[in-house]
Amino acid sequence: MKRYSMLGLIMVSMLFVGSLQAQTADEVVNKHLDAIGGKENWKKVNSMKMEASLSVQGMDIPINIYTVNNKQYRQDFTAMNMTGYTIVNGDSGWAFNPLQGQSKPEPMTAEQLTVQKDQMDVQGDLVDYKEKGHKVELLGKEDVDGTEALKLKLTRKSGSEVIYFIDPATYYIIRSSNKLKVNGQEVDQIANLSNYTKLPEGIVIPFTMEMPGAPAPVTIKKIEVNPTLDKSLFTIK
Amino acid sequence: MVMPVVYAQTTVNSATFGSMEARQMGPGTMSGRITAIEGVNDENAKIIYVGTAGGGIWKSTNAGASFKPIFDKYCQSIGAFSINQKNPKIIYAGTGESNMRNSVSIGDGLYKSTDEGDNWTKIGGLDSTEHIAKIAIDPTNPDIIFVAAPGPLWSDSRHRGLYKSTDAGKTFQKALYISDKAGCADVSIDPKNTNIIYATTWEFRRLPYLFNSGGQGSGIWKSIDGGTTWKELKNGLPVKPFGRVALALAPSAPENLLAIVESSNTGLYISSDGGENWKSQSATLNVVSRPFYFSTLVVDPFDPKRVYRPAFIFSYSVDGGYSFADANDDGGWVHSDHHALWINPKNSSHMWLGTDGGVYLSLDKGATWMFNGGLPVGQFYHVAADKKKPYSIYGGLQDNGSWMAPSSAPGGVKNSDWRSIYGGDGFWVVPDPTDPNIAYAESQGGDVNRINTTNFKSVGIKPEPSATDPKLRWNWNTPIVVGTANPKNLYTGAQFLYKTVDQGRNWSKISPDLTTNDKRKQEQEKSGGLSADNTSAENHCTIFSIAESPLDANLVWVGTDDGNLQYTLDGGKTWTNVSKNYALAGIPAQTWVSSIEASQFDKNVVYATFDNHMYGDHKTYAGRSADMGKTWTMFKSAEFTGFAHKIKEDIKAPRLLFLGTEMGLFSSVDSGNTWFRMKNNIPWYALVRDIQIHPETNDLLLATHGRGIMIVDDISTMRSLSADVLNKDVYLFDTKPMVLTMGAFGGTGFPVKAAPNSPSLPSIEYYIKDRLSSGEVKIEVYDTEGKLVQSIPATKRKGINKVYWNMRMKPPKTAAGGTKLDYGASIAPQVMPGNYILKMKVADKEYQQPIKVVHDASSSFTMADRELQHNTAMALYNTHEQLAKNVADISAKQKMLKDNLDKVKDTKVKKQMQEYYDKLEALKTELIPTKSTSIFSDEKRLRDEITDVYASVCNTESAPNNLQVDRAKSLQQKVNDADQKNATISKQYEDKIRSALIKQGLMKENVKM
Repeated sequence: MKRYSMLGLIMVSMLFVGSLQAQTADEVVNKHLDAIGGKENWKKVNSMKMEASLSVQGMDIPINIYTVNNKQYRQDFTAMNMTGYTIVNGDSGWAFNPLQGQSKPEPMTAEQLTVQKDQMDVQGDLVDYKEKGHKVELLGKEDVDGTEALKLKLTRKSGSEVIYFIDPATYYIIRSSNKLKVNGQEVDQIANLSNYTKLPEGIVIPFTMEMPGAPAPVTIKKIEVNPTLDKSLFTIK
Repeated sequence: MVMPVVYAQTTVNSATFGSMEARQMGPGTMSGRITAIEGVNDENAKIIYVGTAGGGIWKSTNAGASFKPIFDKYCQSIGAFSINQKNPKIIYAGTGESNMRNSVSIGDGLYKSTDEGDNWTKIGGLDSTEHIAKIAIDPTNPDIIFVAAPGPLWSDSRHRGLYKSTDAGKTFQKALYISDKAGCADVSIDPKNTNIIYATTWEFRRLPYLFNSGGQGSGIWKSIDGGTTWKELKNGLPVKPFGRVALALAPSAPENLLAIVESSNTGLYISSDGGENWKSQSATLNVVSRPFYFSTLVVDPFDPKRVYRPAFIFSYSVDGGYSFADANDDGGWVHSDHHALWINPKNSSHMWLGTDGGVYLSLDKGATWMFNGGLPVGQFYHVAADKKKPYSIYGGLQDNGSWMAPSSAPGGVKNSDWRSIYGGDGFWVVPDPTDPNIAYAESQGGDVNRINTTNFKSVGIKPEPSATDPKLRWNWNTPIVVGTANPKNLYTGAQFLYKTVDQGRNWSKISPDLTTNDKRKQEQEKSGGLSADNTSAENHCTIFSIAESPLDANLVWVGTDDGNLQYTLDGGKTWTNVSKNYALAGIPAQTWVSSIEASQFDKNVVYATFDNHMYGDHKTYAGRSADMGKTWTMFKSAEFTGFAHKIKEDIKAPRLLFLGTEMGLFSSVDSGNTWFRMKNNIPWYALVRDIQIHPETNDLLLATHGRGIMIVDDISTMRSLSADVLNKDVYLFDTKPMVLTMGAFGGTGFPVKAAPNSPSLPSIEYYIKDRLSSGEVKIEVYDTEGKLVQSIPATKRKGINKVYWNMRMKPPKTAAGGTKLDYGASIAPQVMPGNYILKMKVADKEYQQPIKVVHDASSSFTMADRELQHNTAMALYNTHEQLAKNVADISAKQKMLKDNLDKVKDTKVKKQMQEYYDKLEALKTELIPTKSTSIFSDEKRLRDEITDVYASVCNTESAPNNLQVDRAKSLQQKVNDADQKNATISKQYEDKIRSALIKQGLMKENVKM
């Protein structure tokens, strides 16, 4: 498991409930935001806790993701009786992945941290994207496994780029394709999103994320919106 | 008669079978023809783009350590490539290679990306130029772009010449146009004065039987006003006509020009005054070799005297092109035939070379080269397979000989698994179905050989003319075909058809001249134009396709390159020509009969493809006759692109057809009424030259001319998908009995980059009509008693989905905690043979299918072995779970003690609690590792000891040995003992502490520790 591949990315796509730039890019963005519960509902989200899991050949790997909007982030998973995690707290970030043989948390490089911070916008990139300093561009349409999807490119203020493929029938994002340039390496991260589910707060979130090459899709079991998250979650023990 | 299947509502399209993704076998071993290379200018040159003759564009972001394709949805033939070095996110690709050999492909215009190749847009309206040789971007104003378009090879056209854009490619105007016969072959911008442009024009033409390079339209031109007006440069150059001219300027001193001028006095000419005056400089073999094919000439970015001539071989000059030295082979052989060279402008020792056999890297200014095996862009002409298990694949390639490789191998199919079995250019390679150690292969012009595939010794068996025969005419790509009704029959053809029944030891000529024998098309010795070029590539009036009916060995069809399609019903005694009949269906006269498919189901049915591109006609011609070629129905589809190479009828379902063209793979599930492009991990416009279906695995095998061999595993579903199923929202297909296996191969402990193997497990398939945007898909396997055995990760593609059950149960819950991974928690016993139930939940609906799991009776792993293995594995599984319970109990007690320790006031109780805790801890450290601090300290505790033997037993197809069986028992005893120890410790402390805690109000009476 590559450090940046599966687990590091779960957040990326699940929180991308942002939208797109459409017929004009803005029309697509707005339709998408409407489809996922409306910008106003999303703007009320300040923190989130997700409980998810991944089943690899019958072995269940629980994953928890905690985010305080643009401030703190923790993702942990438990496999083979060990718990690994990624933690970002302000300007520091740590990762501990026992599956890679690590026995203690190791600091993120500055570039890894930048990538992680890009993914900590719990309201999604597309809510008020202009105010956030992002840009969107509609690149036309492209076939995604048989659906002619709208192709919306978002360039974040940080310079990182993602392409969202939006199903014009639902205006849901069905695929996100992140191009990460980290530590002198380039990685394409693709996630197929489905199982869109409406929460009591009115927002709609994809409960299933499948990454090509990963052994199994990640499925969300439960989401708490605006929970109070203990500070200790974001500190290294 | 085959009845077309009517699909009432839902149509089949490329998404329907999209999950059947091709395995791209490559390999990179011999790679393929490279046409353009450019890197982003920085010292390390991390970003490199490589354009190929038939495999699209590949990009490396790590200086060549790995490449990935970035042009898979577009035309695969690349002629030119250019980066806007001022803003290297902007790149341009000109499609249609300009190395105008007989097999050159055709482009469809110019493409631009503004994000380093992630997304592409077609621009500029150059769609009909067919071939693009060069793209030059003005270094000072990158909105100004020149495109040199030689233009169509096989026809007159006004879509050629030098094109100029001043708006970054949005629009182009012709800057230099000579005639509908002469295009532009090269362009250079003076980097110090970008108003000075040099261009070369080229008059050339191919006919199917002749090539001409040269004419009055060829010349060297200069503009000093940015391409508005032009002057022809002549002073000191040889007399016209010219052929192709390669032109280079010295970037550090651009008044110095070099040109290789194909002419009556072909050679390298130089000018030191911006082209006003020229003198002859050299005419070494490598300078004058095949000017139409080797048009690359490059000057070092800093040293105007250092000249590179990548051509037949790689040579370099330090004296301005007067004398040349050749690169050495110390880094391994450098493939001949070079077409692209990129010198890093920031470090001119660093260069990339593109050849007919892939890319090479030099770090010593081109003296020595290292091959890069990471580009699987081989140009296969044909593919075949034998019946070994796993079967081997065979094929021949442009300039890269004939090869074979296993279709699956331990660890995947690696570059090193491929075996070269014959040299020259390779085409047909056919295993002998009657002799597993023999294959037939050839080099260009019908040089057929019988190869022993155990030692690769070959025997030449090419038929020779009899005393009374005329000269034999062999196609460049001469067919070698094994009989499908009688596998002892082996056919090949010149203008006559030859047959052998004894592996080429004796041949019979079984036909008269089956071609038109048009003498005007047989003057190959005049081919080449100004430079003779007669390599058998232009041989004409030859047999090109042969098919024996699978139903009757006496029925043989033969197609020629000059438009004849003939059959015999009596093994060659008499022949009937049906070419006039298909002319009525709209096939132009004299087209190549590129493939013939005699139906497996009806002797009267025959399919054929016709390729007329050598007369400038790129239409897709494929058709079917149901009456022995008397009347023809042509297949039509708006999806079709590219001239047709191959039609293939499925071997089991007559309504299933495949069509390979120069621009894509197409399929029909309704006898050819409707067609869809197959995008199954196959480049959408792949050059599909040959298609086979493996009779036992039902795999679809593709020979692509630029992306190697591709295999779509087991296409059975394409046969069985009925209209009824198509209209269902969800459909779970029946599953064939599953044979228990842990895969065909063992793992290799040494990971090497490899193409994937065929799946070793049988698939479970289901159909989903529409994309599910909400709701989940869940697949589970239950035993007959309703107990959950395993859950399977689901996919939810539109169309057919394929998932795999590993035929194991869920892994055990092993003891939690510790400082080390426990692999036991990820390992599960294989299930026993028997009946299981597959349940699939899609949103709120459930679908069920029985699954039968069977033991492989042919295996040396007997049923008794399996039972012992399963019982031992299950014993250890239960041992693990028993230990897990114990550890959980210990941990819960420790937690309670820890939680309360600080709250307890009584020091005596406190002391007892600490003692209790410590004793539990001491026991726990026997059970799970608690001290490991790194993966390099192998701390073994009871949990790890169980996992060791449990993993061995679960993961091998073998009965456990005696010591493993004994070990399972002794570990069970240890786990029992540990339970006992926990009980003993608890007995000593629990009640006392519990009463104390209750007394202090810290615990309620009914709470058990």
